[in-house]
Amino acid sequence: MVVPVNYYLGLSLALFTLGAIGVLIRRNILIILMCIEMMLNAVNLAFIGFADAFKAVDGQIFVFFVMTVAAAEVAVGLALVIAIYRNRATVYVDDLNILKW
Amino acid sequence: MEYLFYSLAAVALISGALVVFQTHPLRSALWLIVNFFAVAGLYLLAHAEFIAAIQIIVYAGAIMVLFLFVIMLLNLRQPEEELARPRLGLKIAGITVAVLSAVLIGMGLAKVVLKPVTELPVGLGNTESVARLLFTDYLLPFEVTSVLLLVAIVGSVVLAKAKLR
Amino acid sequence: MLLSYLPILIYMVIAAGLVGLIVLLSELLGKKKHFPSKDMPYECGMDPIGDARSRYHVRFYVIAMFFIVFDVEAIFLYPWGVVFKQLGWFGFVEMAIFIFVLVVGLVYVWGKGALEWE
Repeated sequence: MVVPVNYYLGLSLALFTLGAIGVLIRRNILIILMCIEMMLNAVNLAFIGFADAFKAVDGQIFVFFVMTVAAAEVAVGLALVIAIYRNRATVYVDDLNILKW
Repeated sequence: MEYLFYSLAAVALISGALVVFQTHPLRSALWLIVNFFAVAGLYLLAHAEFIAAIQIIVYAGAIMVLFLFVIMLLNLRQPEEELARPRLGLKIAGITVAVLSAVLIGMGLAKVVLKPVTELPVGLGNTESVARLLFTDYLLPFEVTSVLLLVAIVGSVVLAKAKLR
Repeated sequence: MLLSYLPILIYMVIAAGLVGLIVLLSELLGKKKHFPSKDMPYECGMDPIGDARSRYHVRFYVIAMFFIVFDVEAIFLYPWGVVFKQLGWFGFVEMAIFIFVLVVGLVYVWGKGALEWE
């Protein structure tokens, strides 16, 4: 182990927070999706840190599945972005207020 | 060795911040690739070699390509709209919420005392040890993954090519 | 353990250094003359029609999406290939089911005509 697991957790928390800030303050739906990817990455980093600390491969398997979910999420999410752009010609989330009343 | 961790962590954080605060999505996407590479380096440091390779193949190689294609597909102009409506109050509120929840989680985490295992079993994180566990103990999640991918294929084809025929 | 990745690091440094060197050299040695007709996109004696950044067709998205999904399938095949002999027929059946489900997806997109470029 190169550094204590706490360092990995701290970095993971910082990256997750950055992603959360991006999701909360940006309005471009593409950037929001990218920030979600970054948050997933932060979680993966925590998994890898734990897997290294406890010398168990299970954490790495979880990362494997998280990546699969991320790939599926991106494929469907970007398809939704394209569909929204076709119908509303916008990628800004605050223009998608048709369900708001 | 610790310096490697610190420098990779710095690269990850700076590129992550640039992803969030870049005005054009194309630039965000390129910085996100830098971020993925830095995180892959951190995986390597934590003895997760196979996962590091997968990180680059899947994230940097496939997911970001899809992002770039979609950005080019939508052909977004300079984001004058994003700048025209700053809504500073909402931004400050968003940052505050995120940072405060991070502080809360961090305070919770700081109390946890972890007892790491010190002796290193041979070949932790190489492809073989990952594979043996993946295809025996995690058999069901592995098979369910294929269904997930099938749903992703069907869903995105239906959404993206709705007017093909 | 990490030392075994030294060749990859050296390779990356050489690759990045070479690219940097080429860009730097062409920046330093190249002539830079700007006049309107040279700064036009395509610069071929014709007035450009429309925008240089044309919109991509949605086909590119669909192809990239298939690439992602089957890329993820492929990364499951790497570890499977490593332990294939240890798992024996059990592992074979396991992977056969996995691939079968994805072949269903492939048949679906084929039937939907999403693979046609026309």
